[in-house]
Amino acid sequence: MASTRDIRRRIKSVKNTRQITKAMELVAASKMKKAQGLALAGRPYAQLMANMLSALADRVEESHHPFLAKREIKTRGIILITTDKGLCGPLNANLFKLVLDIKTPAKYVVIGRKGAQFLARAKRDLLADFQVSDRVGFSEVKVVAEFMVQQFLEGAVDTVELIWPHFRNTLVQEPSLMPLLPLTSVKDVITDLRSDAGQSAAAAPAHRNEMLFEPDAATVLDALLPLYINREIYQHVLDAKASEHSARMVAMKTAKDNATNLLGDLTLEYNKARQAAITQEILEISAASFAA
Amino acid sequence: MPLTLEIVTPEARVYSDTIDTVVIPTVDGEIGILPGHIPLLTQVEHGELCVTKDGQSKFLAVGGGFAQIDGDKVSVLAEHAINEEHIDEKAVEEAMKRAERELATAKTMDPQELEHLQGLVRYAGVQLALKRKRR
Repeated sequence: MASTRDIRRRIKSVKNTRQITKAMELVAASKMKKAQGLALAGRPYAQLMANMLSALADRVEESHHPFLAKREIKTRGIILITTDKGLCGPLNANLFKLVLDIKTPAKYVVIGRKGAQFLARAKRDLLADFQVSDRVGFSEVKVVAEFMVQQFLEGAVDTVELIWPHFRNTLVQEPSLMPLLPLTSVKDVITDLRSDAGQSAAAAPAHRNEMLFEPDAATVLDALLPLYINREIYQHVLDAKASEHSARMVAMKTAKDNATNLLGDLTLEYNKARQAAITQEILEISAASFAA
Repeated sequence: MPLTLEIVTPEARVYSDTIDTVVIPTVDGEIGILPGHIPLLTQVEHGELCVTKDGQSKFLAVGGGFAQIDGDKVSVLAEHAINEEHIDEKAVEEAMKRAERELATAKTMDPQELEHLQGLVRYAGVQLALKRKRR
């Protein structure tokens, strides 16, 4: 049996670990709240953009914007949104499984250090890696979005797709893949924006026909579409952040619970060892007094 | 009938209030909006947006985006927007210097990066101009 001193040392270290994981759980919980708040703060923007697009869609018959053009898909362009740090359960590993399922030629842009490391190991074609801060700003994501769009326009990639951990609820984050470019139609874009804004398609306000466009409807539409892509990517980065923090919170909670269980077992063992030592001592003393 | 003005960015709803008039910087020059304006959808430039309410003017620096006027509702969809009081002159100055330095040193930068930096400088310039004018 281990000596009481060894057990005491173990107990101390487990207690320390529990304290750390508990603190990390609390931090992750508060960050998750913030990330969720940020994701919701994007709603008015989505709604307004949907309104503008639906006003435009009535006026512009067919746009020749390259985002809407159909083309043969040779190389897929994939934006992979991962975390910078570990300790968030199977979150990143699940995403990587999804990536490994992709057998067609593809080029990758990655957000987060973990994803960059993985793609380097998996020997995939990595175009660029980016890092965003915890409280991610729109301008940080814009750089990523514009880089990818540039690749798309130059023909280096024929699609733009997103792989990110979709935030279902605190316990469930689903690795998901979503095609972004080319867009199917302006109508789909509007429907998507409306669902992001938390309202149904029927809630669309009626537009009067005398709406004026400056410089003209087609130009405005062409300028609005890149903004939609930027927003879409930004929104998904926020979603991924919320997933990251909730996954970390759950992982830390499990770790904390495990530490508590372990602590119980160790305390029991310690008390047993202590009692055994005392019994032993009494036996020795009484044996010695009998002998005397 | 007063106008309602709403300014939203991807990050938040920056401004939402009833106002008397607003001046918006658009690609075709500044336009002033009064109640009863015809419905309009236009592109917004980097610049200063002037809101007048109860005879008091307030300024906001806005980045590129769009403005929609529909009836008595003015909605501005901007990439950034910052209230004049919230502009931190020092921080903006530093950011601008940094961006300018990068612009000066890198000749072989890819156009995307270049445009991003130029946008930064422009937006920073607008913020500075606005802050200084108000003093």
